[in-house]
Amino acid sequence: MARVLMSRRLLLTGFAGLASFPARAQSMDISRATAFVNKAGQDLVTAINDPRLNLTQRRDKVASILRTAIDIEGTGRFILGRYVRQASPAELQDYLKLFDEIIIRNLSARFGEYRGVKFSLGRSQQRTEEDALVSTLIERPNSPSFTLDWRVAEINGQPRVVDVIAEGTSLRLTTRSEYAAVIQRNNGRVASLLDAMRGQIAQLAAREGG
Amino acid sequence: MKPFAARILGPAVLVLLLLAGCATRPPADDPEALQEFRENNDPFEPANRAMFEVNEAIDKAVLQPIAEAYRDLLPKPVRSGIRNVLGNLRTPTILTGDLLQGNLTRARETLGRFIVNSTIGIGGIVDVGRRYDVHGHSEDMGQTLAVWGVGEGFYIFVPLLGPSTARDLVGFGIDIYTNPQSMIGQGQILDVWNYTRIGMTVVDTREALLEPFDMVRKTSLDPYATLRSAYRQRRAFEIQNTESPGGAVAPAGGVGFGQGVMEPK
Repeated sequence: MARVLMSRRLLLTGFAGLASFPARAQSMDISRATAFVNKAGQDLVTAINDPRLNLTQRRDKVASILRTAIDIEGTGRFILGRYVRQASPAELQDYLKLFDEIIIRNLSARFGEYRGVKFSLGRSQQRTEEDALVSTLIERPNSPSFTLDWRVAEINGQPRVVDVIAEGTSLRLTTRSEYAAVIQRNNGRVASLLDAMRGQIAQLAAREGG
Repeated sequence: MKPFAARILGPAVLVLLLLAGCATRPPADDPEALQEFRENNDPFEPANRAMFEVNEAIDKAVLQPIAEAYRDLLPKPVRSGIRNVLGNLRTPTILTGDLLQGNLTRARETLGRFIVNSTIGIGGIVDVGRRYDVHGHSEDMGQTLAVWGVGEGFYIFVPLLGPSTARDLVGFGIDIYTNPQSMIGQGQILDVWNYTRIGMTVVDTREALLEPFDMVRKTSLDPYATLRSAYRQRRAFEIQNTESPGGAVAPAGGVGFGQGVMEPK
């Protein structure tokens, strides 16, 4: 009973999140979503394991695959949540640019380190009317394997990744809490989030050495 | 044995909560802010953040270096064996949870694993059950209370224990007091045994969390908020019994950092 209540609450929260944005997502076909994740995943693994590429080239290649696979704008808006309407048009534009850079840098730095990675599809399941959840298994040499679930939605007629879920933890929900906390702790100013994001990009760039 | 947590941390937590005061409730004319405030359910946020910083300091000075040394000094098979033994020792808590939740299939798995791992697996060192595809799972009183319909209550960050909620902390207390290992008699040998078990659990858990913690510290603009959200999501996942097979048995709630515990690296 409680389990039912819990999942219903999760579902409601999900819908509440979706409802605050224009309904661009149409219903997602599960086999189409699976094929899409499989293709993007294989492309990523090929780029990561390509012996001809050096670290920088590998990151660039991974970044370009991620840019075509992820619905960055939609995810960015979801994460900014109610502050989308509080931000000025200029702030929103800045935010989406910074978010694009952070997510691509973070993910490609992370995936770029996964030499020898193997990727396989796990069980797939349709979650809501709006999108599909595709489960994958990530295996690395000398490391414990783990599952990654990809939430895939139909965005303007194309399947796109809108969330990555590791062991029950959704990246977009966690990031939404993080960004909301930064704004709240700075008197509700969206500009302070943008400053923090700029600082983080500078740090990431310094760590990557360029 | 009276656990350290109950003796010292409990009162310390209360004093800190009182000293640091409460989070400010948003005005009633901002329904979205109000909803967010309710979802965060973190009325003691200023105190929790202070305790989070205390924990960060202790962690960086003591726990993390110990966990890193542990990984560097002991080869993987040894750490695997230790993790398996600790998981096997959590059987009473896990089995109680399975039964109280009326999940007989999982109870049978837990009992079968305990019997096989304790004997053929040489006191739990080898996870034989996993080789037969009977994987371990986590269960604790916090999860049982949730299945019974108890809401999670306010969020609380306890130094050394990490993120928790009112419900999970109560469950954690019940788990400690009902653990047979803390009930069978007393004496120095037993005390040493219990402190060793608790100490090893802390080191083993922290070692498993080296990468996730590094990642949060490196990439989050607000690690406190990230951890709060991740903990809640992870607990919801555990409560629904949807852990993916292959992970080792995570420590009982309360100490959970909102992360699955994997096979050692």
